[in-house]
Amino acid sequence: MRKYNKISQPILKEIKQIVGEKNVLFDQPDKMAAYSHDEVADPAYAHMPEVVIKPSSADEISEIMKIANKYKIPVTPRGAGSGLSGGAVPAYGGVVLSFEKMNRILEVDKDNLVVVVEPGVVTNEINNLVKDDGLFYAGYPMSVETCFIGGNIAENAGGGKAIKYGVTSRYVLGMEVVLPTGEIVQLGGKLSKDVVGYDLIHLMTGSEGTLGIFTKIILKLLPLPVNKIDLLVLFPDAMTAMKNVILIMRNGRVIPTAIEFMDQLSVQTTCKYLNEELPYQKAGAMLLIEVDGSSEEQVEREYETIGKLCEENGALEVYVALNYTTQERVWAVRRNIAEAFKVYSPIQSLEDIVVPFANIPDILPYLEKLSQKYPVIIPCYGHAGDGNLHVTLVKKPECPIEQWSSVEHDVLVELYKITKKLGGTISGEHGIGSKRRGFLSLVMDDEIINLQRRIKKVFDPNDILNPGKIFPENIAAGKT
Amino acid sequence: MKFIVPIKQVPETSKVKMDPVTGTMIRTGVEAIINPLDLYAIETAIRLKEQLGGSIIIISMGPMQAMKAIREAIAMGCDDGVLLSDRAFGGADTWATAYTLSLAVRKLGEADLILCGERATDGDTGQVGPGLAAMLDLPIITYVAKIESIGHEMLRAERLVEGGREIVSLKTPVVMTVVKEIGVPRLPTLRGILRSKKTEIKVWGPADICADVSLTGLKGSPTRVVRIHHPQVTRKGEQIVIKEPQDVEKAANSIMAFMKQRNIP
Repeated sequence: MRKYNKISQPILKEIKQIVGEKNVLFDQPDKMAAYSHDEVADPAYAHMPEVVIKPSSADEISEIMKIANKYKIPVTPRGAGSGLSGGAVPAYGGVVLSFEKMNRILEVDKDNLVVVVEPGVVTNEINNLVKDDGLFYAGYPMSVETCFIGGNIAENAGGGKAIKYGVTSRYVLGMEVVLPTGEIVQLGGKLSKDVVGYDLIHLMTGSEGTLGIFTKIILKLLPLPVNKIDLLVLFPDAMTAMKNVILIMRNGRVIPTAIEFMDQLSVQTTCKYLNEELPYQKAGAMLLIEVDGSSEEQVEREYETIGKLCEENGALEVYVALNYTTQERVWAVRRNIAEAFKVYSPIQSLEDIVVPFANIPDILPYLEKLSQKYPVIIPCYGHAGDGNLHVTLVKKPECPIEQWSSVEHDVLVELYKITKKLGGTISGEHGIGSKRRGFLSLVMDDEIINLQRRIKKVFDPNDILNPGKIFPENIAAGKT
Repeated sequence: MKFIVPIKQVPETSKVKMDPVTGTMIRTGVEAIINPLDLYAIETAIRLKEQLGGSIIIISMGPMQAMKAIREAIAMGCDDGVLLSDRAFGGADTWATAYTLSLAVRKLGEADLILCGERATDGDTGQVGPGLAAMLDLPIITYVAKIESIGHEMLRAERLVEGGREIVSLKTPVVMTVVKEIGVPRLPTLRGILRSKKTEIKVWGPADICADVSLTGLKGSPTRVVRIHHPQVTRKGEQIVIKEPQDVEKAANSIMAFMKQRNIP
């Protein structure tokens, strides 16, 4: 167990001198509660910070890190708090560094197709700013309208367009980082290629706020596709839908932007939640498929190819969303699934296992078995084209609340073991954080965990930056 | 039964920007879509066709690109389409539009029902449906929220009126305008889209419908836009701050007094 010091009045005074009194929350539990959790449903993963600091510059953060090292105080960086692994939760109390004031887009370099942003920029703001110049940022987490770009990079967010555009890391060209020990360093630049030294940018990306604090980020932009079309394809059952995912990827000769899967339970719960009148009742599963491109003809050819392939392979109906309004309508079904299940039952565990996508059909019978064996319903949806599935464990009403944590644990262990057996791992995009660290050893060898711990030690000798994340408390305890 | 649905292609207004000088929409580079409120008329026609059989003809007046809107309606489940496209039709106001559409409806022959959207999201007048009825000398029922029954040349429908609903029976053929409550429009299907590509859509000019070109387009439009201005929205708010528990009652009283003063029940 780590030993950290509490934040005393003299330390608080030092902090206030750095960032100014109005940028510090202390002793205001009702205001600070918002910083004690992320979007993980289980309150067991929440933890109150002792102080919330809203810095405005790298220099301020550097000073805070020096104080934190001096007094051994944990510091947890926080974006918009839309994470799903407890990454932004101050597991050991101490300081939460909230980036809400560092929300400027510093530069749009149209000639080099890059944008330089501060970490507190809402991801979608970037697109709002550059779309009139025919550019776009291709990262597309489902929380794109609320999440901060800094959090996207810390978690290496994936999302709904990764088949064609990849995940966040593909777009991170450079960054300014405050190291846990307080030094401010510049990594990378506006370069498309850079092989000088180790690739620290991509070590930082996805480090879940444990290796450094990003204060400036250089992101690559792409030409904005002129056209896009969404298909909402209804299938009689989940297996047929999943098999179509493989067919599209293997035989379509098209790279779709997205292939999202939604099982019957997800579709019905969300459609009811949204009062959606699509004929969802007859569908056992749906795929939401997007294609985009530089001309109407190209997009038309691509969606017709995919649509016909689905029709020939068991689809009940292929709906086509031709414009913004109908596209928003079909994506609303996908984006609201998590929210809809929270209304149905707030006691749940949202997972994001990932397997090679051709192995997805193999996982379905196991999910069925798990929901029969345990008092849990398991809706399943997600980024099927990436093999990344949001398998969600929702408590059945008959399961007594005091038994839930052990049920949840047992189901997760079984689920993760199946996932590993199918060549997969336990998180494709949400991260390990505090929520999954106890399970890391199920999918990662001790040697690799220890190697990563040594890397962490190099950056953060006092273990003050976001402690209690990723790695199990001790490896043996993780073996379940 | 024979249904005719007049539709309009409009700019996708959720993305549209206004020209601050002229006060008009900047239409360049904006996606063109079926007027969202016309989708409800299309949906109603398709539901009635599914129930009673028959065919649905879409008509639209506009440039050649409006063909896309007609094809989309066919992809949703309509059968046929006519595009009224000619320079002589350009710049029409609601009068000239209703005149032109009425000639097309006449040429298409006796329809049982002519279903229109409540209004177009770009012009926002809501006059073309009633105008069309007047020029065709047919009864009109506006703001229809529900069709109760149709058959034996009689239609019974529920329409929204201020403060309630009105149930009206009338003899067909009828022109009706529908509101959103009537039913959520379906999405086009791939099968529908492929079918719509094969459908031959007729393009009619003034000669095809025997139109008097002095009554069509800008020339036939009595409406003149004199000035477009943005209304100034001025909302005044009064803030009541509650600091102490006893302030709650004071605040509630002042809200009650305010409502009483404004006759808000």
